[in-house]
Amino acid sequence: MSTVGIIANPVSARDIRRIVSHAGNLPINDRANIVLRILTGLSTTGVEEVFIMPENGGIRTQLVRTIDREDRMGTMRFPKLTYLDMPVTCTAADSAEAARQMHDQGVGAIIVLGGDGTSRVVVSKCGNTPIAGVSTGTNNAFPELREPTITGIAVGLAVTGQVPNGQGYSFNKRLEVRVNEKREIALVDVAVVAERFIGARAIWKTENFRDLYVNFGLPDSIGMSSIVGLLSPLDRETPEGRHIRLVPAESARSHLLAPIAPGLIENVSIDGVETMQPDEVYLPSISAGSFALDGERELTFCETDDVSVRLQTDAFRTINVSYCMAYAAKHGLLTRESDSALAKL
Amino acid sequence: MSNPFPLEKDKLIEAYRTMKTIREFEERLHVDFGRGDIPGFVHLYAGEEASGVGIMMHLKDHDRIASTHRGHGHCIAKGVSVKSMMAEIYGKATGSCAGKGGSMHIADLSKGMMGANGILGAGAPLICGAALAAQKLEHDGVGITFFGDGASNQGTVLESMNLAAIWNLPAIFVVENNGYAESTSVEYAVASDSYVDRATGFGMPGITVDGLDFFAVYEAAGEIIKRAREGAGPTLLECKMIRFFGHFEGDAQTYRAPGENEENRANNDCLKIFRSKVTEAGVLTDAELNAIDGEVMTLIEEAVEEAKAAPLPAAEELTTDVYVSY
Repeated sequence: MSTVGIIANPVSARDIRRIVSHAGNLPINDRANIVLRILTGLSTTGVEEVFIMPENGGIRTQLVRTIDREDRMGTMRFPKLTYLDMPVTCTAADSAEAARQMHDQGVGAIIVLGGDGTSRVVVSKCGNTPIAGVSTGTNNAFPELREPTITGIAVGLAVTGQVPNGQGYSFNKRLEVRVNEKREIALVDVAVVAERFIGARAIWKTENFRDLYVNFGLPDSIGMSSIVGLLSPLDRETPEGRHIRLVPAESARSHLLAPIAPGLIENVSIDGVETMQPDEVYLPSISAGSFALDGERELTFCETDDVSVRLQTDAFRTINVSYCMAYAAKHGLLTRESDSALAKL
Repeated sequence: MSNPFPLEKDKLIEAYRTMKTIREFEERLHVDFGRGDIPGFVHLYAGEEASGVGIMMHLKDHDRIASTHRGHGHCIAKGVSVKSMMAEIYGKATGSCAGKGGSMHIADLSKGMMGANGILGAGAPLICGAALAAQKLEHDGVGITFFGDGASNQGTVLESMNLAAIWNLPAIFVVENNGYAESTSVEYAVASDSYVDRATGFGMPGITVDGLDFFAVYEAAGEIIKRAREGAGPTLLECKMIRFFGHFEGDAQTYRAPGENEENRANNDCLKIFRSKVTEAGVLTDAELNAIDGEVMTLIEEAVEEAKAAPLPAAEELTTDVYVSY
């Protein structure tokens, strides 16, 4: 039986960027509605069971109310929903633990509600299980903006084998950051900032930016990767990265107006751009500071720490939703004979 | 090694001293209340110190706050005298409210502390008044109310959020979410489980921070308070935190999982988290922090001794200091 995991963490997209940049704030009820739409898509393609991350932020309450109501009305169109057995910490750690358990249970794919940060946490723990992002976060450079019903259908087609095995997936680059023995990943960008504390996590004070390592950045990207998108664009497939040297305004070679967060277009001071090659080791230009992974400060380092950044290719899999839906159209996967046509046979 | 934090060393010491004072104040009340020394009722703030102190480090005396039934920590962080608070809780004439208020009604307007409050949600309209006054008097004061998930359903809170939004008041609504609403589950009692969503409904921004991390609270509160002072209006801040004691002293805490309190004390203690951050960064040493611990213990001991030795309010004072005099 094909199974799918869904991670919808209510604590995602709740950080300080709602104060400093008018970032979006998707209500809990809408997050529950998104999960219901995904479930509808999965059910349509024959997925019978979905494992879901437990939380106590309100999504579960809304799901249970709706599913119970549809069950009573006889209009149930959702797969069986099974909550993982795990403690709820109301932090991003819940997403990590859920990803680990879903991988261990052998789900065909994990659908992640969130932005770059939540996707990063899931990828760090889901092994070779493919993920599909549903864009509900703050910065949404990694997950593509798409109606979740379609993501549900595409994931269902891929994990049930209706899209032949191997064809519905894409391989992705990522960045690995090392501080001594500790390793973390980023799916889009790694920023080195002069602040040496984690605090409220988000980065928005451009005067503290020093280095930016980017996996992919398109001219219409949002977040730190927009700097690459506007200076030296790079797609998801090309096996290289970009390193941008950032400096205080007075010593910059040039300045760029970049949308570094939703609603926050800042003057960024540029010193230079260079290409990153896979598996080569890159060192920050400052000896003490913090690494912000996909827009959030996660790791601090000082003069005595051994630190590096590395680009990895073919590092993890995602569901290629566009390909799956195109395959479905070409091969009639969602086409059914009408009753009258059947009667003529 | 340079100081990586957004506060100078003396301010880091002040933050730690205040958090430690709250902790030891509450630990001592836990013991003294259990022994029957204290009249009335107490609700303890231990475990939640990073929230109150992280926010209050940005405030001045002309900024006003309104607290809850769990108000000791807010009072101490806002600068109310620890000795007068202890005397108040002991019901003595030297207390901050002359011994007539007790734990749930400690106030000190000279410090901008508008009062702990035994009525859930009653602080919200008070700070809207303070924020309106600041706005009309054209000074940069802000009003901050603290409340929990029980109070979040009170009409007073929702009406105050509406008022703050339409009048663009320098008002800040702080939800201190310790995971338990006395004995009623959130799932049963709250139609929309997210406090941030409620702020959104009133057109004001809302964010969630790790209330165990002093620096996360401090940085977020700094931006929110700056925003309010500059005239950008109200904000909701949710601090996710942990309470070490029961809802009230005497609470059997049957709703907790086995070992939960021990786990929290060991691994989710905001004071330990603060200590490890500042010592690992080489800004403060364990010896410096231990010295502060000793000074705080002395202060609390003196506060208790002076409170016990102080006189009770005189019988003829019974009808003074009340709104309706007989």
